[in-house]
Amino acid sequence: MGLKLSDYKLIFATVALIGVLLIASPVLAEHLHFPNGEQYSELYLLGPDQTPQSIPLNIATGQNYTVNVGIGDHLGTSAYYVLYVKLRNETNQLPNQTTGTPSSLPQLYEYSSLVQNGENWTAPLTFSVSHISISDNRLVLGSITINNVECNVCKIAEFDQQNDGYYYQLFIELWAYNPISQTFEYQNRFVYFWLNATAATSTT
Amino acid sequence: MLVIGRGKQLISNRYKPVAFALFIIVFGSCLYSCPYALAQADQNRSKLETANLAIEGAFNSVLDAEKAGANVTNLLSQLNYAVNLMAQAENAFRVGDNNTAVNDADAVIPITQKVTSSAQTLKQSATVNSQNAFWYTIVFTFTASLVFMLVVFLVWRWFKRRYIYGLLPAKPEVKNNGTEVI
Repeated sequence: MGLKLSDYKLIFATVALIGVLLIASPVLAEHLHFPNGEQYSELYLLGPDQTPQSIPLNIATGQNYTVNVGIGDHLGTSAYYVLYVKLRNETNQLPNQTTGTPSSLPQLYEYSSLVQNGENWTAPLTFSVSHISISDNRLVLGSITINNVECNVCKIAEFDQQNDGYYYQLFIELWAYNPISQTFEYQNRFVYFWLNATAATSTT
Repeated sequence: MLVIGRGKQLISNRYKPVAFALFIIVFGSCLYSCPYALAQADQNRSKLETANLAIEGAFNSVLDAEKAGANVTNLLSQLNYAVNLMAQAENAFRVGDNNTAVNDADAVIPITQKVTSSAQTLKQSATVNSQNAFWYTIVFTFTASLVFMLVVFLVWRWFKRRYIYGLLPAKPEVKNNGTEVI
């Protein structure tokens, strides 16, 4: 059964409307704002050969070790990041992920970088330890040199019976500049790796 | 010469004024140098703060330019150099290398000024470009919509005429004797 003239009229009107909407879509796109995808910053840590498996664990005095730290910006705009490198022993607190508060430990070294949306940034972190002393099952790490900047730390580690060693942790916090509040804010992101300084005691 | 005696007299009476004068000089120089050292540290910290603020200001300008639609890759690359210098300055200051810290912080300022100025220019041109592009789009959309509607209307008229002509031969015709022929 054929269509009536009024049906064809409706089809023409619909085609005209769809066509006008398609032609006007560039203008509509400027005024209609759809929700963006998830906005976040990523922070990652890789070993010297760009794999997590090659991150060093056992360290010796005076020897250089390298890891690579990286940031990915997915905030929708360029971002100004700062990374704080901190050292803790097993009793010092890590940043609190529940409350989103950073560690109160002093930073030993910092990186700063501007990263465009969708881009990544990586930098090497080369470190060595020195001035290590040990007595009464307590190891004192005198200083750590990060990217040729020597920091006196005098950090004590108790002997860890369970893991059979003296352990420290180097961790890196991600901060970003907030252009609205005009301050740097902790992004509730950190990466860390353990350092077993037991071998270092034999070389001192 | 200081004489250390067995009794109560530790310093000979002759040298007491000299010892007192030495004490005053040493104590006085300590009093003088401590505030000076503190003031120097404050001054260095203040230079770093100034450089930090300059970078933040430049970054805000770059962000504004980016939001206006400008390509800020080159500006970010220039500002990144200043940002790296600033990180070096902070690291040096933390370990007491004040000369490096101050030199790096001082080197940051001219870069940020240049970037801020370029970012403002870029923002202005990007704003003008985006306004022009917006009006071109509006004019194009309006014209194209009008042309499209006209075309659809003409096609509709042509189609309607054909449809009606197509129906005419099928129209029932009534003869005088009452019979109906098609």
